[in-house]
Amino acid sequence: MHISLRGEFCKNRFGQVGLVILTGITVLALLAPVIAPADPHRQTRRSFEPPSALYILGTNHVGQDNWSRLVHGARTSLLVGFLVACAATLMSVLLGVSCALKGGLYDSILMRFVDALIIIPAIIILLLIFAYLKPNIYLIAMSIALFSWAGGARILRAQTLSLKERAHIWAARSFGGNNWYVMRRHIVPDLSPIIAVEFIHAFRRGVFVEAGLAFLGIGDVTTVSWGVIMRNAAEYSYMNAWSWWLLPAGLALSITIISFTFIAHTLEPIMEPRLREEASA
Amino acid sequence: MPTYSVAFFIILGINFVLPRMMPGDPLMAIYGEEALVAMTPELKAFLLRSFALDKPLWQQFLAYLYQIAHGNLGFSYYYNAPTLEVIFGRLPWSMLLVGCALILSTTLGVFLGIASGWRRGQGLDRSMLSAFMALSGFPGFFIGIILLLLFGVSLKLFPLSGALTPYSGLSGLPLLLDVIMHLALPVSALTLGSLAANYLLTRNTMVTVLKEPYVFSARAKGLTERTICHRHAGRNALLPVVTRTGIWLGRIITGTLFIEVVFSYPGLGWLMYQALLSRDYVVLQGILILVALLVLLANFCIDLLYVRIDPRIQNAH
Repeated sequence: MHISLRGEFCKNRFGQVGLVILTGITVLALLAPVIAPADPHRQTRRSFEPPSALYILGTNHVGQDNWSRLVHGARTSLLVGFLVACAATLMSVLLGVSCALKGGLYDSILMRFVDALIIIPAIIILLLIFAYLKPNIYLIAMSIALFSWAGGARILRAQTLSLKERAHIWAARSFGGNNWYVMRRHIVPDLSPIIAVEFIHAFRRGVFVEAGLAFLGIGDVTTVSWGVIMRNAAEYSYMNAWSWWLLPAGLALSITIISFTFIAHTLEPIMEPRLREEASA
Repeated sequence: MPTYSVAFFIILGINFVLPRMMPGDPLMAIYGEEALVAMTPELKAFLLRSFALDKPLWQQFLAYLYQIAHGNLGFSYYYNAPTLEVIFGRLPWSMLLVGCALILSTTLGVFLGIASGWRRGQGLDRSMLSAFMALSGFPGFFIGIILLLLFGVSLKLFPLSGALTPYSGLSGLPLLLDVIMHLALPVSALTLGSLAANYLLTRNTMVTVLKEPYVFSARAKGLTERTICHRHAGRNALLPVVTRTGIWLGRIITGTLFIEVVFSYPGLGWLMYQALLSRDYVVLQGILILVALLVLLANFCIDLLYVRIDPRIQNAH
């Protein structure tokens, strides 16, 4: 596949906006201890303070600094999203490509399983799982990944099926390259743009589901996360504190997800070249 | 069909294995400590017997399947009633919410998607595309909270929670109006949360469909632009929307869970949330099984429907 990821971004305004937002939030997350003026966990007696020079976004119900919590929340979101993206992409690649290369019973059984996973409403199962297991964010990330790889595996399998009939793969096989070698040296590099798109999709889903679960009160409630902030703030919605407590967290979450959507949209012509003509417009 | 059985067995398997993986007495693991304290010895003995909890695992699994096939999803200690009864009491509210949102978001999304795809690359299309892509980033529950704060708390136009005004003794038309007033905000939030996906899919399909030769020949025949847009291109752009409706149903049901929590709407989502808080595990399991069954059934119906809408599928094999 002759696709330059950088080329796609140069042509597309959406992609540029998405990258800028995502870079900004990543920098915010990485520099959180420097940017945040206070410890996000430290409780003070000054609760429900409106925004001031000392507390840029005011304080919450237990007197924690909202701005510091917002900045540290970016860390949780991006960490969980990143872990989900890594684990889910790894599973899609390994299972999707191996299905296409091996074929036979292995392929048909695994693909039944993939089709089933795609229609199952994952969040409801995750809720049940987390009702039993008391999760930390790593367990949450792995569980989300477990329900996020199926779509990607199906796409990668389909692409591998067409790719494996090409001449260079036959050549590699005639030199004695086995499935593992062909996958590592040819298929994965050839499919890397599609794998990148799957990575972005899984990342987005990870951020989204983590916030949703935290909003429902799943997981460690002392974790500093946008979902937890929104959950706490929503309980005090009758006060006017929501405009500097709930809104910033919700907007931060939304623009993070939007940046992933924009990036994915930019990369979409890779998956569906028929859209290309208008995408460059 | 095999897909659906596999999906259902995965869910049954999770439901069966998860509580039994927990340490300790299986009855306690399934129902939780709080529930055991509230149970009478007779009920305990009954549950132990009907789910064969003192027998080996494979017998437990057979007993489990047998009970589920007979509609016995266990006993909710919190509501002091069979789980199935508790769930069926809440189901109509969720169906109302999901049904309204599904119809609204599909029709609106398809309509706007066709209009936007038809004008691809033009100003209207590009502003709609940006707007909907931005909208798709907002989680449903955040949209819900904003609507609640804006129209409920600040403007006081709509009620803040519930599905009916309690103890109002309304009937007839005022009752209907009351239901609609309570329904308005949750349905709007749910629709806005799922509209973007419908729009984006329809638009993208429309863009590809417009390049098909049959659109070219329709134009060559001298048909009006409107006929080409709606009869020829639009109809074919509908196909993937129909296929996806099954998957979206699952997503909208998941979305409802959050929306019902935000608006304290007495459907399955709110029930599930309360069950989570009160550790009423059987209710969680029951909802999961029922929702899964509904989603799978809907997907199955759509598969059957799809062959009728698109005859090419039948000839493909």
